[in-house]
Amino acid sequence: MSRTACRATLAAVALLLAAGGAGAEEAFITEQPANAVAVIDLAAGGAGAVVAQIPVPGAPAGIAVTRDGRRAYVTSPDDKMLSAIDTASRTVVARWPVGGGPLGIAVAPSGTPVFVADWYDHHLLVIDPDRPELRRQAETGRSPSGVAVTPDGALVLTADRDDDAVSVIDARSLKRLAVIAVGQRPFGITLDAEGRRAYTANVGSNDVSVIDVHKRAVVGTVKVGERPYGVALAQDLAFVTNQYAGSVSVFDVATLAPRGIIAVGEYPEGIAASGDGTKVYVANWFDNTLSVIDVKTLTVTGAVSVADGPRAFGAFIRRDP
Amino acid sequence: MKHLLTVAAVASVVLAPLAAEAHGPTRKKVTETVEVAAPADKVWAAIGNFQDMGWHPVIGATTGQGGNAVDATRHLTLKGGGTIDEVLYKFEPEKMSYSYRIAEVDVKVLPVTNYSSTITVTPVDTTHSKVEWRGAFYRGFPNNDPPPELSDEAAVAAVSGVYRAGLDALKAKFEK
Repeated sequence: MSRTACRATLAAVALLLAAGGAGAEEAFITEQPANAVAVIDLAAGGAGAVVAQIPVPGAPAGIAVTRDGRRAYVTSPDDKMLSAIDTASRTVVARWPVGGGPLGIAVAPSGTPVFVADWYDHHLLVIDPDRPELRRQAETGRSPSGVAVTPDGALVLTADRDDDAVSVIDARSLKRLAVIAVGQRPFGITLDAEGRRAYTANVGSNDVSVIDVHKRAVVGTVKVGERPYGVALAQDLAFVTNQYAGSVSVFDVATLAPRGIIAVGEYPEGIAASGDGTKVYVANWFDNTLSVIDVKTLTVTGAVSVADGPRAFGAFIRRDP
Repeated sequence: MKHLLTVAAVASVVLAPLAAEAHGPTRKKVTETVEVAAPADKVWAAIGNFQDMGWHPVIGATTGQGGNAVDATRHLTLKGGGTIDEVLYKFEPEKMSYSYRIAEVDVKVLPVTNYSSTITVTPVDTTHSKVEWRGAFYRGFPNNDPPPELSDEAAVAAVSGVYRAGLDALKAKFEK
């Protein structure tokens, strides 16, 4: 364990150094009842500033920004559409009907395909944005929620909420390779930068399952607050939004020991870390704010007001390539 | 409100729903407030006991266990019939605020699922206070294409109605 932990730490440090020179970052925040996606310049004075408001119909909820930062894909469960946003022009450049209950979403590291979890029809929809008429599907468990893709693009993981399980899917063949039992009602799922471990926020059992992706097994369970929603990783820490508790639980990813509980706004949901791992951003659905957490001090250093109902379920940070 | 007042005796419960059951696509939120011509501590004294919902005009009886400790439960019997089971998950007397979730309710009584709520008293000045009641919930129908009585609109209307009735009654009680 200690050697693994050491290697993980070294990798994290290497990642930090690599990300050190990265350019400005923006948060793309789905505002569900407001039918919009806010763009927040995270480098702006104070906690950041809303620099654009992109209309997206159908109660947008899930979001996935591509690794190159050029596109943001958004699910709208109310009108059952997938939208593609051009991040530079801040416009919706395409909308595709997907049916069912689109919510969780992830995009391959190369930028294609896009993986959309169908909460009602219980599968993963696979769409190539360049050839959207060609749809493929992968089998999942019931009510797949969060989706994550390994950094090498080889595997897709879905948190199958109503099966208390995670599906491991081959991204190319779309074969379901494994089903891993986790805690109750897994919702958000986050992979680490190496694709080595995955973390699920288990709404029903108020804990996080830590999955060894290679072993296809849960290697740890960490108690968090009431109704966890999503997980972000920064440096050697995991940050978990607790919807009912109005807080973020923090634990050490190597030892799984708790490191603190940070009060944020009401109904914190989407959560993501900055590229350099110094900040964690939290969308507070009831309060209509984005909280900024300083990773070093584990305190909230500011908040940005956004429109009604920010959810930002997914990878919502855009980085310059 | 109509839902609460017209529903007849409780039907037999086939299966207790899980704490986090399947739900509609879009969570809804409702915030209702009232300003009361009474100091905050007096208003908190009237509503700040999780085991007593007697201040709400549609609640006939409150029974429960665990007082005001986290995970305390209460069983509300409505005057018009129907029951609601609730669990306390946050109790902050220093902030004059508590939060609870519904563990079990028939959607015919209140057409919502995955419901949570917070009620808070804040002072306006030494003789006035504000009561805010917030709820977050999904509609009663857990899939696409709900019948009208289990739609998003029906859920929002029902919760708003419950909050409005309670807050207006509270104001009337202090200002009569």
